[in-house]
Parts: sequence; C-alpha cells; structure tokens
Amino acid sequence: MSLRKQGITLFAAILALVAFAVVLQLWLLTVSMEALLGGQYKTLVPAAAASTLLLAVNAGLLRYVFRFDRDAHGE
Amino acid sequence: MNIPFRSQEGGCASSKASKPPQWRQDFPIEWDGDHYVSRREMVKFLTLGSLLLAVANWVTALASKFLHRGSRAERYIGSASSLEQSGSMLFRYPTDKDPCIAVRTPDGKLVAFSQVCTHLSCAVIYKKAKNGLFCPCHHGLFNLAGEPVAGPPTRPLPRVTLEQRGDRIYATGMEG
Repeated sequence: MSLRKQGITLFAAILALVAFAVVLQLWLLTVSMEALLGGQYKTLVPAAAASTLLLAVNAGLLRYVFRFDRDAHGE
Repeated sequence: MNIPFRSQEGGCASSKASKPPQWRQDFPIEWDGDHYVSRREMVKFLTLGSLLLAVANWVTALASKFLHRGSRAERYIGSASSLEQSGSMLFRYPTDKDPCIAVRTPDGKLVAFSQVCTHLSCAVIYKKAKNGLFCPCHHGLFNLAGEPVAGPPTRPLPRVTLEQRGDRIYATGMEG
C-alpha cells in the first residue's frame, strides 16, 4: 500500500478529530457569549484558554499532515 | 485492473498502445489523488477556522475587561424611612433606563438588585410572603441574595451596592 493511499485513511481520521475540536470551540464561543451578556465574567478566560488548547491540538495535527505530505511527495 | 479504452480513431486500443487517450491527458488525476488532496485541504481549512474561533473567544474574554455596564457614579436613590414603610423601593441605576429594587430583609439588612429578571427581562417585585423577589411573568423566584430558587431563571440578579448615610440611601456600584 503506497504512502499516499495510507494518507487518505489517515487524513479522514485527522479530519474527524479536527472537526470535533472545532465543534467544541464553537460551543465554547456560544457559552462565552452568553456568559458575557449575562455579566458572568469568571468563565470567559478559562473558556478562551480551553479554546486555545484545542487550537494547539489542531495545529499539531496539521503539522503532522504537512510532514506526512512531504514524505509522500518524496516517496 | 486495466480497462480497455477506445482510441480517438475509434478502434479498440491494444495493450501495446503507448499513448494514453486524450481524456486521460486532460484529466490526469486519479480518484485516490483527489481524495488525498481534498481531505488535506479540508484539514487546513478547519484549522484556520479553529484559529478564528480561538481569537473570537479571546476577544470575548477581553471585551469583559472593557465593558462597563453603565456608570459607577454614586447616586441618591431615596430615604430609609420610605423604605421602612413599604418594605421595598424602586429606583433607577446606573442610568435612568435601568430599573432596580431595594429591599430591607427581615434581619434588617439593606439589599438592592436589578429589577430585570434574568430569564426574559420582566420586572421582578418583592413578595414578603415568599421572602424573595418574584417574577410574575413565568413565576420565577429569587431569594434576597439574588439567587434563583424557583421557576425558569438560572442566573442570579445583578446586585447593586448601597451605602446608607443617616436617612439617605445611595447606590454606589453594580456587581455581576
């Protein structure tokens, strides 16, 4: 099985993980907006920090995709 | 699997044919290659979306630092004697568009809250029998600490800080 064919399956799995993280971030944003309008400011910074953590996970997965892509081109 | 294809001349191409057909030259991408690229690009696109969402979350967090709900200026709201007579007193703070209610609790403490119900913004009223602030629209009830205890509201009422000087009561700020 060529590296590129493996990449199709791998990218689908990574895509599912990234999509799940983005949905979580969307939920965090809606909760933050509601808290902001309700005057409950204590949850805003932890929500932003959690969102940044999810971004870091996504960025790590994207970096892996780039590295895999480079290897697949060099095959 | 090798599928025989028709050449441009109309004849069936043999396995010896060296030149691929014209359509293959025009569309050289295999389905596998197409899936590979589209999924890779989708990961990139979603990560960009993730970045925007994280930025939006931080903007929301920073907005709370700069958001001032009205003025924190001191304001005279009424006399303590009038509050003793009725048990509660309505006033406006921090602006003339923000209705609030001040209540003397059974243990003699003076408290005040925004009169706007945190459920659907109806005006809450003081119910001595229930020892709380009652919302007549959907039967929500807040205790005299401003916390919701019954009905649909889930968030507490914003508290107004008060200061009593002699007979005069002043609102000095908002909490929450």
